[in-house]
Amino acid sequence: MPTPTTVTAPGAPSAPPSQAAAAVEVRGLTFRYPGAEQDSLRGVDLRIAQGDFVAVVGGNGSGKTTLCKAFNGLVPHFWNGDLTGSVEVFGRDTAGLGVAELGADVGYVFQDFGNQLVRPTVRDDVGFAPLNLGHADWAERADRAMAGLDLTSIGDTFTWQLSGGQQHLTALAGALALAPRLLVVDEPAAEVDPARATALYEHLARLNRERGVTVVVIEHHAELVARYARSVVLMADGAPRWHLPVREALGRVDDLAEADIPVPQVIDLARRLAPGTPRLPLTVEECTTLLSSLPSPPVPLTASATVPRAAVRDAPPVATVAGVTHGYRTIAGGRSVVLDDLHLSLHDGEKVALVGSNGAGKSTLLALLAGLTLPRDGTVEVDGRDTRRVSAAELSDAVCYLVQHPEEMFLADSVRGDVAMHPRGRRVPDADTLVEEVLERVRLTQVADRDGRLLSGGQQRRAALAVALAMRPRLLLLDEPTSSLDLRSRDDVIAMLAALAAHIRCTVVATHDMHLVAEWADRVVVLDGGRVLADTDPATLFASPEILSRARLVPPQVSQVGAALGMAPVPLSVDELVERAR
Amino acid sequence: MSAATSTPAETRPAQHRARRRTGWDRTSVEWVKLELMRVAYATRGGFLARRDPRAVVLWYAVCALAPWFTYDLRVLGAFFGLALGAALAARIGPLLLGLFVLSTVGQVGYLLVLVLVLGGDLGSVTGLAQAYFKLSTVSLVSMAAFVSLDPEKITDALLALRAPAILGFAVSYGYRMVPVLVDEFQTIVDGHRMRGAPSRGAGFLGWRALTRAGRIAVQAFYPLILNTAKRTRTTVEALETRGFTAATAAGDGRRLRLAHLRWTGGDALLLGATVAVVVAVYAFA
Repeated sequence: MPTPTTVTAPGAPSAPPSQAAAAVEVRGLTFRYPGAEQDSLRGVDLRIAQGDFVAVVGGNGSGKTTLCKAFNGLVPHFWNGDLTGSVEVFGRDTAGLGVAELGADVGYVFQDFGNQLVRPTVRDDVGFAPLNLGHADWAERADRAMAGLDLTSIGDTFTWQLSGGQQHLTALAGALALAPRLLVVDEPAAEVDPARATALYEHLARLNRERGVTVVVIEHHAELVARYARSVVLMADGAPRWHLPVREALGRVDDLAEADIPVPQVIDLARRLAPGTPRLPLTVEECTTLLSSLPSPPVPLTASATVPRAAVRDAPPVATVAGVTHGYRTIAGGRSVVLDDLHLSLHDGEKVALVGSNGAGKSTLLALLAGLTLPRDGTVEVDGRDTRRVSAAELSDAVCYLVQHPEEMFLADSVRGDVAMHPRGRRVPDADTLVEEVLERVRLTQVADRDGRLLSGGQQRRAALAVALAMRPRLLLLDEPTSSLDLRSRDDVIAMLAALAAHIRCTVVATHDMHLVAEWADRVVVLDGGRVLADTDPATLFASPEILSRARLVPPQVSQVGAALGMAPVPLSVDELVERAR
Repeated sequence: MSAATSTPAETRPAQHRARRRTGWDRTSVEWVKLELMRVAYATRGGFLARRDPRAVVLWYAVCALAPWFTYDLRVLGAFFGLALGAALAARIGPLLLGLFVLSTVGQVGYLLVLVLVLGGDLGSVTGLAQAYFKLSTVSLVSMAAFVSLDPEKITDALLALRAPAILGFAVSYGYRMVPVLVDEFQTIVDGHRMRGAPSRGAGFLGWRALTRAGRIAVQAFYPLILNTAKRTRTTVEALETRGFTAATAAGDGRRLRLAHLRWTGGDALLLGATVAVVVAVYAFA
């Protein structure tokens, strides 16, 4: 085994990535999954230097995950597909090594981190890999890895009791317990709130800086790439188009757009307001400095160019939540409090975004509004009916609730069957025509006979929306409709939500995606500690630092730049800021 | 609210207006889930939970074998009583106890039907009672033992007793799947409650409600298995990455894993006393 790197040398100067030895060297790698009709990787040549922090970006299905699985030998040792070319990790060819041997050098955190946890308790799961590899100090290694991520206090908690953020950290600790020299993390920010995503990235950045761990992340969020990565690999059609230092990479706006990667808003702003600037900004601070140094900085534009979208509070209510307190029984027999004396009313014509950190009670509130759960205390009235007095099935004539993971919406064996389920069950006249119309509207007629689980992420979301449309609800509730979608699928969903307005009286979206809030919502309800912390419009919210920090929200970059420049109301889109600057 | 107001609720048929949901439908699923978790993860304590897992497994082996060497109803009855006592002392909890009582009631009812309607003689009742006592004793001690072992302890015990490592893992992974399956099932049932045809009243003796529940249970099977299978793909890859198969082949982790097990006087006492009681019951009969 090669000598391990000096693990505890904080601040040790690492060689600049370009001159350092290679952590990964891929030559002419082509790979096809067993039974697949196309190659997933096509002639990949890639060199990742030791000590680098690499972001792998690319649209859904561009081969990012397959490439990363080649680093730890899952491709081709676990997935026995057709492989040509070679992969060397720290100078050793992966062809001759087992996955477990590689695992000592390459830590891997899966996108679906919850299912990566295989042992009952946190401590046991973190110690699992060192134990399997026969390290006598496995318990100390586990303790060290947990201490590094502040998990010691939950060491004896059962893994299924953890929140999403804690599960993610546990999975990371499990990978770190082997002190790998290369760490691969697949979509660290997909399912956690912005503050937690930042915290996770801070951990990764520290590992990279202080211990010289080479980090590879697969990431959709260009802001995070800009802030933390040192270099970027753009994957398209199964091969890297380029591998460039981060500043240069994010300047290639056209390439990124072609691959469905959103350009960070700060870069978009700089290119449009300060064309030809030699050094593109990567952070909000850099962008603000750049824009205020312009000959005509867009500062004096405090006049309200766009009136905050008018509230329609005097419209008749679609749903009212009055004094609702709710919680769940815990394993120890007590009861947690998720919602605490919550009051809220939703009106005709509103597009409401429900925001707040993980565990703030968003999903619980949606379940209460859908009548799936009854409140312990207080009343929920939907469409004039108390949810205690009608069954969830009857209420679903008026309310539709789309859960976070679209595959959980697929109850039948085809998309058409799922869409038809509700109208047929109610014996709606012309149910078949309705179903075909809805499928046409979400552009899924071609794949309507396939099982929803076999569709791509974006198609799955559209199929779930189709289910909702066929129910013709007055109140539509959506849980995280845009998480882990690439730009195009995301825009698709947002456009479709906007188009729904004609058919649905009120839509409520629970989300961490502040771009969705900025682009779509006209009312934002911030939940914190089981209560409504703020109930306002997006521009006001993004200009209220106390509320943002308390609810752990991070506004879109353009709003942050606008606020830093002293604009009021803060702009919600790049177009708006540019417009007002002219 | 007076009946004169014409909110949509009031315009519905009288039976709907009169009904008031208790929330029992959803709460009961949650209760069963929590109860399953309490059982699976040994959170209630009890006299076996404090013992070394090897001792518990051996205790189980002794108790589960004891009733199979006799047809004497007195001996079997004594074992049954002792097993019931052990199960209660191990705090098996209301869910398992309820299921057990339910099966007992079913059995006794079946015996009564057999005797009264089919006119069987007392001999057949004795034969069935023997089988019932034996099976019940085994199921009671099984409950007592497994309620007292969390997946961790079972794996350790199986490893220590030289069972194949894959068996130990399968058991602990099975436990890992319990909350996943329950969660998936709950989501699917919620989907059916929202999107399926609404119930049109319970019907005579609740036959409609029963058919509806039955249909949902059957239809839930397909998405349940597919969704769960999709989740396990990550798990299998993670196991591979984290050296589980490699360790199974090398067998090196075993010593490390089991280093913490301690056999104490209490464990010896438990086994000794159990064997003594079993022998004593046979001797007195």
